[in-house]
Amino acid sequence: MQRIATDDARAHLASVLIATGSEDRAAFRELYRLTSAKLFGIALRICGDRQAAEDVLHDVYLIIWRRAGAWEPGRASPITWLATIARNRAIDWQRSQRVRRAAPIEDAPDIADSAPDAEAMLMASDGSHTLQDCLRELEGRQSEAIRTAFFDGVTYAELAERRGVPLGTAKSWIRRGLARLKECLDRAA
Amino acid sequence: MPPEPLSPDDEPDVAAGELALGFLDGEERAVALRRMLAEPGFAADVERWRMYLSQLFDLWPEAQPPEDLIDRIDASLGGVAPARRGRPFPWPLLAIVSTALAACLLLVVALRPGGPPPGGAPMGPPPITASAPILVAALGDAKAPVAAAFDPTDGSIRVTAAPDAPATRVAQLWVIGGDGVPYPLGLLARDATLLVVPAADRARIAAGATLAISIEPEGGSPTGKPTGPVVATGALAAV
Repeated sequence: MQRIATDDARAHLASVLIATGSEDRAAFRELYRLTSAKLFGIALRICGDRQAAEDVLHDVYLIIWRRAGAWEPGRASPITWLATIARNRAIDWQRSQRVRRAAPIEDAPDIADSAPDAEAMLMASDGSHTLQDCLRELEGRQSEAIRTAFFDGVTYAELAERRGVPLGTAKSWIRRGLARLKECLDRAA
Repeated sequence: MPPEPLSPDDEPDVAAGELALGFLDGEERAVALRRMLAEPGFAADVERWRMYLSQLFDLWPEAQPPEDLIDRIDASLGGVAPARRGRPFPWPLLAIVSTALAACLLLVVALRPGGPPPGGAPMGPPPITASAPILVAALGDAKAPVAAAFDPTDGSIRVTAAPDAPATRVAQLWVIGGDGVPYPLGLLARDATLLVVPAADRARIAAGATLAISIEPEGGSPTGKPTGPVVATGALAAV
């Protein structure tokens, strides 16, 4: 049942995105209605500041409006494509700030709190929990670093600073973690 | 004891993953971005990482943006909505179709052979694996495409809107598979259309196959092959 709702929603979103690509304003507003809470959540967490996140979200939808015609159905699901734009744009903004971010964000929604529920839902929805399984195979600090990079958009330098370890050391164990993760994911794919 | 840092030559090349995750900064990031342009294999690797990581987007908590933001975005696209090509997108109708479709799907799944049927397996369409993906296609030019979505679970195709046809003509949908021969799928209404493909014909509708729309006499092509102009085509792909 979950799967039906998911597939149906995905097809609907794909149609809306395609119509947005043909400069249909009504479709664009529908796209916003369906996706803005997710994309704002992404911007808010990475920017760590509400006003900045609003500005980023504004930019993100202008980018989506311009690029929707270039979305290729076969390459990425609509929500992945949209979320990736939001995450990349938020990271660009964050990189341009450069001053802060040695400490974790306090203002943003907490991933850890919502994770168990969301994880259960994810598994129920389509059984694609490969990434979760593979992350669990890594050392704790490796999987944590990878999650932190994904959700907070931190660089090697920032991670090393947060943990108080030399940059080279942090890079080494994260790279080994990534190599193991890739191997596990490719095996499962 | 923590392992010693490896020398650069011993470290695995995971630059694609590092770039996808955003670990890289400054010159390292610039190098990786240049590799994306220069090495198709590397670009594909980054893409694969993004696909893997996208599972994490499901865990991302949502947050409500301010209510007036959509109006501000809309305003910055230019005060007046651009002239529409063709009809507006039939959202209400699509929503009704989607709801009806979901209801039908529930029934089909409840009755689907292969599940745990109470009593004998009911007759029905051939079982399709639960993982068969929805296929979508954008037909026509990039500026004003027609969207089509095929759901292998029940063999339905939804088409958002037909291209304009003269008063006494009608738009007809075709699928062209590996054999290059067009097979008729049904006639399209002016607004959204829901077609159900007979079970025997569903195998033709696969990722990579082409959907095409031709303009035919009322009632559809008399010959079983397109007789009028083909006004839009597009390839099917999984979402």
